[in-house]
Amino acid sequence: MPLVFVGPVLILQGTFLFTPLVNTFVLAFTDASTVGGGSFIGLDNFTALANDGDFWAAVGRTFAYLAVTVPVIVVLSTSLAILVNTSLRGSSVVRVLLFSPMVMPLATIAVMFQFVLDSDGLINEVLTGLQLIAEPVPFLSSSDLALFSLMLVTIWKGCALSTLITLAALQNVSEELDEAASLDGAGWLRRTWSVTLPQIRGTTILVGVLVSIAVLRVFAEPYIITGGGPGTSTETIVLYLFQKGVSPGTQAGYASAISLVLFVFVLAAAAVSWSLTRRSRT
Amino acid sequence: MSSVLTRSTRGTGRAVPEGPPAPGTKLGRPGSRREAILRWTLMLVAVSVVLGPLLWQLSTALKGAGESTSGFLGSLVPSDPTLQNFVTAFTEIPLARYLLNSAAIAAIGVTVNLVIATLTGYALARIPFRGRAVYMAVLLATATLPFEVILVSTLLVTRNLGLQDTLLGVVLPQGVAITSLFVMRQAFRGIPNELEEAATVDGAGPFRMFLRVMLPNVKGSLAVVTVLGFLDSWDQFIWPLVILSDPDKYPVSVGVQYLSGAFSADQRVISAAALVVILPPLLVYMFTQRHVFKGLAGGALKG
Repeated sequence: MPLVFVGPVLILQGTFLFTPLVNTFVLAFTDASTVGGGSFIGLDNFTALANDGDFWAAVGRTFAYLAVTVPVIVVLSTSLAILVNTSLRGSSVVRVLLFSPMVMPLATIAVMFQFVLDSDGLINEVLTGLQLIAEPVPFLSSSDLALFSLMLVTIWKGCALSTLITLAALQNVSEELDEAASLDGAGWLRRTWSVTLPQIRGTTILVGVLVSIAVLRVFAEPYIITGGGPGTSTETIVLYLFQKGVSPGTQAGYASAISLVLFVFVLAAAAVSWSLTRRSRT
Repeated sequence: MSSVLTRSTRGTGRAVPEGPPAPGTKLGRPGSRREAILRWTLMLVAVSVVLGPLLWQLSTALKGAGESTSGFLGSLVPSDPTLQNFVTAFTEIPLARYLLNSAAIAAIGVTVNLVIATLTGYALARIPFRGRAVYMAVLLATATLPFEVILVSTLLVTRNLGLQDTLLGVVLPQGVAITSLFVMRQAFRGIPNELEEAATVDGAGPFRMFLRVMLPNVKGSLAVVTVLGFLDSWDQFIWPLVILSDPDKYPVSVGVQYLSGAFSADQRVISAAALVVILPPLLVYMFTQRHVFKGLAGGALKG
């Protein structure tokens, strides 16, 4: 009887989750191409990967991406959540609008921001209009700026869900503590910083981890908006993985080794969160 | 948990008890006029950052061929608005086909996800079977596994099954969302045992029990899983991009970026197409946010 209920999931996950997962571990130690074949080559893929400058450059860019977007999204979404946690008239409409980017397809957002970030796009027009700049900023065509421009897209889209989660946590914090602190003469800023935020620390960490894992996987923004360029200045880990192991005849074995390194990064992000959560509980 | 989106229960208004105000709480004292103005100003800034790019996009899509697509201040309102770009998006580029593909993928995907999540969630919640604890542990362990890690191997498996360039090939590898399994498990766990016992006394067999007694009690969660399944499906990008090589089979997300890369692409038409693509999930969100997204946030909090 239980088989009727768990049979379908086991078939689907067996085929499309467990098999590929095991296969990734196997392929990583072979020289298989994406059209098949391949023989066991031991750790060769990993030694090659260790010496692959392009790969480590992509890793470096992805971590730079992480180092900027995660703090920005966490701080911004926490501030936004505090801002909209109010019963002011019309604030419910603001909340609905503010969270709406989370349901917009990322790929389509990326197409849209391709125009927004263009030399005669929205951002340049606004900056010129406000007379903050004389020349258009080469957001996408400068190899120094392109990666940061992509981060703007990730932040624009990523803040929505993070704010929603943080707001949910804010609505569960104790009102009594806030009142007590208020009676003790603590100002708004002080109460928010020392009374409210510590109570949602677990959620803040969770948001940080969710964003970190999402950013380690960043693909659509560079693939669509810059194609990894100019040069390779916006090539991320997954974009590199995509180039190495998806087209027919490319190196499935080598790409699997890249996949495993990506997996290690994700596990590390999750592990950091577990230890932070544990520390915040004790 | 109270609804996040529609109603705020804390924050301002009632936070300070009656009586003389405590010293040093002038700025931002809950309910003060000064605070309301500050909050409204900041909220307007936040909303314009979110809506700005969308409105600019709409403005571009409504501009005729003669009008420049650049220019913000002063030229946000098209001088001679036209729907021609939307017409072109449906007639000269295969937007309708992409929409149909996406609709088919969403229909199959939502159904597969719903059926699997319901069956599995029920088993995990209410049928003690051998290996259940192990399977739960495996599910939790794989919940953090990013799809990109198994992208290459999944491509090989799907290709070997002859599913390359098929809609089923797009749907099945991402057909089981682990969050949906947990949502349904949680829902079935919430049904009181008395209800089950009463139905057994009335002579209900296991399947009758499932269909007639259990399912009607988890309608809300079924709706949540359906909505989230649709949004996920519409958002899919890397997998359809990898498994489909025939542009005629592209879903909207892949199709629109494919067209935007074409050298002949007209920014006005692409903008129109992008807005059409964003519309279905946006409408679903607007109509269901009251019921669905408070649950989503609550689930994320429970971890």
